Amino acid sequence: MTAITTVRPPASALGRVLNVVKLHVTNPWNTIAVPWMIMGIILLANLAIWGIILSAAAPADRVSIREGLAYSGGSTFIFVYMMVVAIQAISVTFPFALGFGVTRRDYYLGTALAFTGLAAMFSIGLTILAAIEDATGGWGLGGRLFTTAYFGENWIQRLFIYFAAFLFFFTIGMAAASIWVRWKANGIIAFFIGLGIVVIGGAALLTYTNSWGGFGNFFATAGLVGSFAWSLVIAAIAGISGFFVLRKATPKN
Amino acid sequence: MTNIIEVSGLTKRFSGVTAVDDATFSVGENKIYGLLGRNGAGKTTLMQLLTGQDFATKGEISVFGQSPVENASVLQHISFIKESQRYPEDFRAKHVFRSAPWFFSNWDADFAEQLIADFRLPLNRRIKKMSRGQVSAIGVIVGLASRAPLTFFDEPYLGLDAVARQTFYDRLLADYAEHPRTVVLSTHLIDEVSNLLEHVLVIDEGRIIIDEDAETLRGSATTVVGTRPAVDAFVGAREVLHRDAIGGLASVTITGLSAQERKDATAAGLELAPVSLQQLIVRRTNTSEKEFEAIA
Repeated sequence: MTAITTVRPPASALGRVLNVVKLHVTNPWNTIAVPWMIMGIILLANLAIWGIILSAAAPADRVSIREGLAYSGGSTFIFVYMMVVAIQAISVTFPFALGFGVTRRDYYLGTALAFTGLAAMFSIGLTILAAIEDATGGWGLGGRLFTTAYFGENWIQRLFIYFAAFLFFFTIGMAAASIWVRWKANGIIAFFIGLGIVVIGGAALLTYTNSWGGFGNFFATAGLVGSFAWSLVIAAIAGISGFFVLRKATPKN
Repeated sequence: MTNIIEVSGLTKRFSGVTAVDDATFSVGENKIYGLLGRNGAGKTTLMQLLTGQDFATKGEISVFGQSPVENASVLQHISFIKESQRYPEDFRAKHVFRSAPWFFSNWDADFAEQLIADFRLPLNRRIKKMSRGQVSAIGVIVGLASRAPLTFFDEPYLGLDAVARQTFYDRLLADYAEHPRTVVLSTHLIDEVSNLLEHVLVIDEGRIIIDEDAETLRGSATTVVGTRPAVDAFVGAREVLHRDAIGGLASVTITGLSAQERKDATAAGLELAPVSLQQLIVRRTNTSEKEFEAIA
């Protein structure tokens, strides 16, 4: 191999992956600032709604209102939004990073690492908000946004469930973005048609084999935490498939 | 001379289109190459193949002695500036220059700063709000300041005005003299860059039709001007690349002349004029097109 002289030694294997991680947060606006702002707006909107409900309801009904709010879906939006963040981030940074001489492998590993870091950061943040919600009796209004029933009963469960949910949506986003980067709109259409066939086929299979009960039992047996743990299997499959899709992608205009 | 790039029998087919057709050539170390050709001739595809951004259908590519595909040890030494390079939409120019040094170990921040001033690039403006020329300037600055041992510029000047283009050529030449490296410049503004180029590769319909030293290429044709009978007598059976005639005067471009032939021409009262690289390539490209038609 021809000797190549450089001023500084080129980045090591780990250094190259970390460079991609840094690339994702070079401008933290879309990946960090916007999601928190959205979360803040959801919280403010819910505070207003709780305030209105409380001022309108009879004091005797407050307990049942609090029970009803245990199934609030306000904070679920943030998870779906992270899927959008993943798709956006990959579709704009992939052609950019390849122009900077990054291999697809380093790009994907760095992206996965960056998203895992973001998942950890947002999970910790939501866990802290849940603790505040508990400590202040639901922001002083008996409201529930971060401590709803499907996020578990204590902070350890919540941290795990938040983290698993973020990983799930990030990896689905990574797989979808890889399909987009490689095959553009046709790929996405084919992907969703395929997904639809699998879901309908699965439902048909459950129906014809009278297995819906067993299907429900699976989640009942696994429990809340167990079910989220199983979602990590889907996340792993999506994450690994995305890698093989992106491995052959070419940056297009 | 060491070769940085060796390509043999390289072919890239897209559905029904052969973008690169059985290309074989090499690129020597520390020279400025011109990759010239018409729009759609296959220049960008060829560069995407050389930088591992696209995958070959057939043939061999060796860059720094290895295949560039997914090869970090090769790609780390390459800077590839595309006219169509996409930047993250929410990035400002400063974000690009903040991240570039992580990827280019030869990055010169002072040089980048000087270039930013030269091109009057607004660092704090969002890239999606920039003019075409300003976006091109970002690419040009990255390409120059990265000082990669192998730098590709694919039509980097879109939207740049004549002054900015001249700045680019001047800085490239000055920096190249101080920090020799291999540069492959693809363009269709042939005359603008003709003084920069040391070697010329011309691609037409995916085929490499000219692979020659720039100096040799410039000397490979001459235009003979004079009265029609005198010109015709001198040209005789030589290969004619181009012919113009006005009234009794004729101007004929023919392949290179020896020193003795030049003397003969002058003695016959003919004027000899050099042919610009652009004219030469236009004519050679036309010739080859006719040849292709004849074969087909």
